[in-house]
Amino acid sequence: MKSKISALMDGELEARELHEPMAALQQDEGARNAWRTYHLISDALQGRTLLSTDCLHRVAARLAEEPVLVAPHPGPIRAPERARWFVPSALAASVAAVALVGWVAFAPQQGAGPIPVAQAPAPAAVPAERAKEPARLPLTSASRDYLLAHQAFSPRNGLLGMAPYVRSVSSDAAAKKP
Amino acid sequence: MSRALGALLLCAAAGLAHAQATPEALEWLRRIHQATEKLSYTGVFVYQQGGRTETSRITRRADASGGVEKLEVLDGTPREILRTQDEIRCYLPESQIVKVDRRRDQRGFPALLPEQVNALAEHYAIDKGEVQRIAGYDCQVLVLAPRDNLRYGYQLWADLRTGMLLKARAFDGKGETVEQFTFTQLDIGSVPRERLRPSRAARSWRIEQAGVAPADLSQSGWKVSADLPGFRKIVEIRRMLRDAQPVGQVVYSDGLAAVSVFIEPLAGRAEAARLGLASMGALNVYTREVADHLVTVVGEAPADSVQRIGNTVEYRRPQ
Repeated sequence: MKSKISALMDGELEARELHEPMAALQQDEGARNAWRTYHLISDALQGRTLLSTDCLHRVAARLAEEPVLVAPHPGPIRAPERARWFVPSALAASVAAVALVGWVAFAPQQGAGPIPVAQAPAPAAVPAERAKEPARLPLTSASRDYLLAHQAFSPRNGLLGMAPYVRSVSSDAAAKKP
Repeated sequence: MSRALGALLLCAAAGLAHAQATPEALEWLRRIHQATEKLSYTGVFVYQQGGRTETSRITRRADASGGVEKLEVLDGTPREILRTQDEIRCYLPESQIVKVDRRRDQRGFPALLPEQVNALAEHYAIDKGEVQRIAGYDCQVLVLAPRDNLRYGYQLWADLRTGMLLKARAFDGKGETVEQFTFTQLDIGSVPRERLRPSRAARSWRIEQAGVAPADLSQSGWKVSADLPGFRKIVEIRRMLRDAQPVGQVVYSDGLAAVSVFIEPLAGRAEAARLGLASMGALNVYTREVADHLVTVVGEAPADSVQRIGNTVEYRRPQ
């Protein structure tokens, strides 16, 4: 595990490898100690001014001593929450832009000659090529209610029996809370 | 290179458009459906989606009253769903809640009614494939390939002897798997009654009733239209989702895939709404706000289809 934490610190892990060391850092004090120690070593090697290892605890203690400010929230609480979810649509827009660039880049080739099977009747039901699927997020636990309510009406149950219901009770649906 | 690929795709698509569902393939769908209704069995299956896997157990006991089924999640929190002929109970140990809903798919598999078969074949090319072995059972492979990119395709593996479905795969327009159910172990045969009781539920758990009632959302000013070839409205209801205000639900289906549109007031929600697209396997969820209401579209269809249905939702204050 320590080698993974070290690799994580050095930015050498791929996205799919993150889960294990991140979980360890959340749950295991030993892993957190290793994380702090590695940072200390790295700081020492690079000649940065050293922070003492228990700086985290001292900051936490000072925060605990701060007086709690009791005041009404300056605006609707939902606003910043909502703003965060604009990020995926910006991402989707850039994906669409990339798709468009790709499309334009390939376009000149079409004029190079007749397509061999141009005579074959194209099926009417197939719409024109679309941009790539937009960015998608994992479901939250709140979605489970919708999934359960939806599943009861799915004709696929007639073939798959109860198996599709697993999605409405899956741990995955609850695990990712932003 | 890209031209050759395009030509190939055109050929394949043209071929599909002319294909008809073979009677043999339809007979197989009928057998699979009957097996889900008539057999008793217990087995462990793996659900795969988005690089994740999850193991669950399904136990079914057939009896004169239509049978009882239990699904237990074996990884993580031990959630369970029990389904009888007319009720679905979902047991959530972490919140000590039992969600109760009336069952509504007991009319069988409508796509196989004689008048619906052609509609199904209009949107999917249904073909019989080879025989493959899954979890020790020799299985017939069936492919339901979509004729457009508004729906996913399905590949099914059914036991040659009983028709029991051992494996099911949903795939997207590129043929890539979006989700897969696979039995890794299955025993077909009698199942004792005790195996179908909830394992953990206690009397103290809170019961949440769905309280479904028929509804006409257009009367309260809502306009929803499927706007997708082959999808037609199958039900329109008002229901409870949590212990809050009633939620409107309209369901559309093409005979195989279904898409639900939920409409609920934003006021009184405990949590902030998360807008945009989310997904789990073949389920895409699209959330947007319309006239101080939250519109949530849940469907076993590509994100684009789910979004298109969601974007048709309009509100006009009733006169």
